[in-house]
Amino acid sequence: MNLQLLMLKLTHRSKSRPLIMSSSSVFSHGRSTQPEARESNDVRLARVCHPLPQYKSKKDVVGVISPEHEKRRSSSVNHIPFGVGYHRRARLSDDYNGSNKSGFCLFCLIASDPAIRILVNCASQTKEYGRCISKRVPEIERDMCLKEFLALKACMQSMIRNKVGLSGSGALSHVYIQNPPLRCNVPGTQGLYYDDGNKLLLAPSSDQVLSWKVGPSTQPDPPNSDFIGEGPVLSIRYSLDGKLIGIQRSNQEIQFKNRESRETFSRRCRPDSESILGFFWTDCPSCDVLLIKTSGIDLLSYEPDLNTLRLVEAKRFSVSWYVYTHESRMVLLASGMQCTTFSGYQFSSGGIIRLPKFEMAMTKAEANHKPVLAAEDIHIVTIYGRVYCLQFDRVSMQLNLYRFYRDAVVQQGALPIYSSRIAVSVIDNVLLVHQVDAKVVIIYDVFLDCLSPISAPLPLLLRGSSVSGRQALQVEDNLTSAYGAMIYGDSWTFLVPDLICDIDNGLLWRICLDLEAIASSSSDVPSVLEFLQRRRSDPSKIKMLCLSIMRAIMLERRPISIIMRAIDALVTSYAHLVKMENAFQGGDRSSKKSQNSGSQSANTSNIVSAESLDETMNRGKSIIKGSESETQQSTIRNLVNVNDNHAKKSTSKASLDSVSDSDGDANLDAMRSNSESEGLGCSSSRSDSCISNQQEPQITSVAISPDEMYHFVFALVEEELGGDPAYLIAVIVEYLRCSTKEKLRVHPNLYMMTIQMLARTNRYSELALFVTNKVLEPSKEVALQLLEQGRQNFQIRKLGMDMLRQLSLHHDFVTVLLQERYYLEALRYARKHKVITVQPSLFLEAAVAANNSQHLAAVLRFFSDFTPSFKLTSDYNRYHTMLIEMTICYIRENQLTWTGLDEHGNYSIASIG
Amino acid sequence: MRRSSGVVVSLSTAMGLPAMAANEGLQLCVFDSRRGHQEGQELDKILFFFPSDFPYSVQLSVVGLSEGIITFTRIFSPDAACEVIEEERHSHVFYQAEPDIWMVMIAEKNKDNESDWRCDALIDVLKEAHSLFTMFNDSLQALLDKQPSGELARSRLYTFINDYLSDFYVGKKIQVPSFRDCLKERRTVQMLTVSREVAIEVQSLATVIGISSLGSIACKSLILFQDLLVATTLSPGDTANMFTYAVLRSSPEEYHRGSHDSSMGEQSNRYHMPRPLQRDNWSKGKDGFLVCDNQLNVGGLVYLAPVVWLQESEEHMYLCIYQHRSLTIIVLIPVCSQTDGEQGIALVKKQLLENASEKIVHVEEKLSRGWGGENAYHVSGYRYLLVDTDKSISRTSPPGKVMTLAKDSLFTLNKLREAIDLEKTRANREKPDHEKYLEVCIRAKNNSWIIAKVTQGRELYMVIERANETLLYASDAVEKFSDRYCDGAFSLD
Repeated sequence: MNLQLLMLKLTHRSKSRPLIMSSSSVFSHGRSTQPEARESNDVRLARVCHPLPQYKSKKDVVGVISPEHEKRRSSSVNHIPFGVGYHRRARLSDDYNGSNKSGFCLFCLIASDPAIRILVNCASQTKEYGRCISKRVPEIERDMCLKEFLALKACMQSMIRNKVGLSGSGALSHVYIQNPPLRCNVPGTQGLYYDDGNKLLLAPSSDQVLSWKVGPSTQPDPPNSDFIGEGPVLSIRYSLDGKLIGIQRSNQEIQFKNRESRETFSRRCRPDSESILGFFWTDCPSCDVLLIKTSGIDLLSYEPDLNTLRLVEAKRFSVSWYVYTHESRMVLLASGMQCTTFSGYQFSSGGIIRLPKFEMAMTKAEANHKPVLAAEDIHIVTIYGRVYCLQFDRVSMQLNLYRFYRDAVVQQGALPIYSSRIAVSVIDNVLLVHQVDAKVVIIYDVFLDCLSPISAPLPLLLRGSSVSGRQALQVEDNLTSAYGAMIYGDSWTFLVPDLICDIDNGLLWRICLDLEAIASSSSDVPSVLEFLQRRRSDPSKIKMLCLSIMRAIMLERRPISIIMRAIDALVTSYAHLVKMENAFQGGDRSSKKSQNSGSQSANTSNIVSAESLDETMNRGKSIIKGSESETQQSTIRNLVNVNDNHAKKSTSKASLDSVSDSDGDANLDAMRSNSESEGLGCSSSRSDSCISNQQEPQITSVAISPDEMYHFVFALVEEELGGDPAYLIAVIVEYLRCSTKEKLRVHPNLYMMTIQMLARTNRYSELALFVTNKVLEPSKEVALQLLEQGRQNFQIRKLGMDMLRQLSLHHDFVTVLLQERYYLEALRYARKHKVITVQPSLFLEAAVAANNSQHLAAVLRFFSDFTPSFKLTSDYNRYHTMLIEMTICYIRENQLTWTGLDEHGNYSIASIG
Repeated sequence: MRRSSGVVVSLSTAMGLPAMAANEGLQLCVFDSRRGHQEGQELDKILFFFPSDFPYSVQLSVVGLSEGIITFTRIFSPDAACEVIEEERHSHVFYQAEPDIWMVMIAEKNKDNESDWRCDALIDVLKEAHSLFTMFNDSLQALLDKQPSGELARSRLYTFINDYLSDFYVGKKIQVPSFRDCLKERRTVQMLTVSREVAIEVQSLATVIGISSLGSIACKSLILFQDLLVATTLSPGDTANMFTYAVLRSSPEEYHRGSHDSSMGEQSNRYHMPRPLQRDNWSKGKDGFLVCDNQLNVGGLVYLAPVVWLQESEEHMYLCIYQHRSLTIIVLIPVCSQTDGEQGIALVKKQLLENASEKIVHVEEKLSRGWGGENAYHVSGYRYLLVDTDKSISRTSPPGKVMTLAKDSLFTLNKLREAIDLEKTRANREKPDHEKYLEVCIRAKNNSWIIAKVTQGRELYMVIERANETLLYASDAVEKFSDRYCDGAFSLD
């Protein structure tokens, strides 16, 4: 069975955009129709961005067979993932018109001949849809061409329904969950609770609680258990130091248990007027526990001696519900009729920040009916160290994005929603919006407040363990059949930031990004590289990916403008890293200085160090190389706090400027203090924090250094590219341009390579310009390379000689002059610059070779006069004898008679008759 | 190209050269020594004669004398015949442009000393005229082969050299380069010095132009700012020709200068002749590229960009000139790559603008910002000429500053240059592959220092007026200049 890619190129003129998509890009199954759909050969329709196989300069390719897919198909014949979408890569059109005008490609991944017929049968709908899209490309918007899309979808569905079966997983995916999950379905437990402060998954049973540490990898560690006594459990959280367990027993009571002394005490509220909504532990210096009640919040401090909680402060106002994430240290308290009035607090180790009260807008469905905002529609996310709140507006089907500043809450836009149920995850600062009903994920990178998706909506995939590539496909299919039904099942709970808990089955999954798939699905390579350079999760892999992308676009000879932007992305990223490093080194010193005072005033200090700034910004992690002793570091980390903008401005303004992505003023940054990982269970290492994998000292940055750029891009590409190097030279010039702009030095071998390529293609005049304008920075290596390449061309050789002279490499210059037989000039130069390292015999030999007795005599005389003890050397004797012989010959040949004039002074030729 | 021989013949008036009208400052002829050997067909020898209204008898006697002298001197110097004849009232310079084609210039000496010139400078005029002619018309030999009657070659030469000579008119008279021009070097390129950063930007533009065309065709390009070169992908010789042409006719000042009455005689225009050297030939088209008016006007013909012949790569190229403010970009598209003529060129142009227009604007801005004005390369206290003979590059004191020099200084420098020219030729004859090292310091009558220094393919000529009287001072001054402005190229010992 041939799997074919059918391409329909629809004409439209548009520069490639970050991403083009519309609301209609997702076909959502209604939940009620799902079983039916599964049976009735339904088709999943989504806009798919799929990397096209590479083929060149065929203008009219219609079908391309992809062997990989073919193989997969043969293993599971009975389903066809069917995709219709823009193809942003548009390599086909790039290739034949040589520009980056991405054509609009609507293509289908369909199986076998009958399937092609489907599209052919739906040709009119396809055309309609394509026409509509292309007409409106400049203003991409939600619901664009929805009508046409639905028509096409319906047509294809009806065609498919009559033909082939459908099942299982989507073939393409940018986001996946990795098998095996953490299994925590121990019999006798009642529900699962997630303690995000300690990253613990808790399963209370009748009288004890089992806890699993959720590390970077969901390794099946045996759970710890703690006795908590009998009673109902509404929620349960360990204190951040791990000494206490707080268990909410009812709306009125929270029980606290000291794990060491096993003593318990309770905190109750007034049963008539208030009830407890929840509680959480905090590392804020002034309190340990926050208790949220309908009547307000209590800030409580734990008194270890008395083993009780002391009320520090009570803030009174009515609360309908609250949302808290430990990651952001932020609690949002909803009040009002519609629950749209919010008070917010951030309880960070730097202190308490109170946000201004703010109102969230909700679209009215109809007159006189005011929707009420629910807690599950509010999500707090932390991206690039900034705190955002996402509000799902069910009426307008929008996800409103608010960013928190210290003194303001600003709405930053809205994301379209295509599902009645959504969930939000953040992985490596990438925002995932799960369209639960549609069973697809949309990915956003809100780095530059750009709210267009990274790639098209695609389903969440379940992957086998570490197998990759084709072998995995088989496994995947099996997995899919095992867990298929459960993907986006009702029992899924999405935990902050990147976990999925299947409560019914007791499974915990971690969501992963398939960066390779994301990268290959986009044609806008520079943007992809920028996106990848912002990722921190797996630096070595991302780096390799970036390098291979860079190589690929060069080998494909993409237009220089594209290459330029791609190089710019990489170079800028590296330059940023270097700046960070410098800032860190500067900041490190200051943090060392402040260490003493810091530890003295540990509880109150607001010391700022660049290091913790880094953490907050979640950038440039690799700078922390563990050079400092680990304990010192962590002490400081616990002490320091970035959040105090006052301190930030006064002490490390400079470093902040280079580091911060903030808008200059109060930036309510998320706390990333490491204290969370200290203490709880010595067995659990520091690597328990969700970001810990970014902190491992051995991990390098994703940024690509000039050396790597040379070794892994230019050197390899040069080998492969071969032929006319004009293109590569153009790329190198662009690279030099970007590097110079960022004041980075490139690898010296790059200059050698450029010289070789220019010389090889006889572009001597350009080479001369490169050298004289110092585009190729002068160095001894460059000069020697020029001499080497100039063996055939004296002008090039001369450039090398000039460079040696200008670099004041006197010895080398004299040697080269001698090689060029300019021995008198060499001698004069040697005298002027006092070069005594060149052997006299070389000069003498050159004079002998020129067969010029006068010159030989002059050279001999020079060394006799200026080099002490030269007359005692064997060289002197040898060449003196030679000179006499030459003179005799000369006299004889010219039949001269000896006049008695001794023009050379110290030798005599009296023997001649 | 270096003069390979130095046969200089000094003749007195007694040799009976044809009498010339007192007013005729200059005669220039081109002849083919293989033609017109038969009795009565002597005129066939002459391909071009200026002034064209000279009686044939005079023309014939000039050519006859020249040919005679050439034949005579070949007896002594078979490889390189006569170069110069100095008469009391005339200088004759000979240039063997092609194996059988000779160009001869006869310049009349004035009573005043103004007409004291350097013969090499006159030969350079002939060389320049010929290389420009070849660039636009192919070699004379090729034209003669194409049309043995010589009609084509004659008509091309007629328009071309007359257009060329129009630049030498001062008032109604032709003024050949005199001793006042001794701080200039014809047929060299003047470069703009730029910082590394800007140089990379410029190179980036040049490489983008180079590869921006369709397929694997490599366009060549020259980039000029004002009338200075910033980048080239041509060989030094072709660069010099192209640069000369660009500065003469297509630099922004040049085509804005307005009409100049070249008062050309209207010969019967039987052949359609491109007249690239005609003034006001170019005007700016809609797309920013310059359009050659002359060819647009030719009735019925499809407009095609002028074609030039590159000597180094031996290729015919379409000449397209793009201008953005002070930036001139000369793009040369291989003729062989363009089968569909004008359309193909238009496509390449379009591509080029798409890929490079952003860069062009950017580079122009950068260059304008760093541009030091016309006196940018003035070094106070010095009046200099710096020539890199290998790369055909020269740099001089700005003309306005050279004007301030005393006549004596220039006069002496001119003499010195003449001597150096001779010395160089001699050295070259003896040891062709060995470069001459030479240094001369002269104290002129007006107590100025006249200095010449030749080393490793570079030449430095210098006038220092109102300077200290010791030789040490003069040589120190050269050393200082060399270290500062020539990367120490002249301070080797």
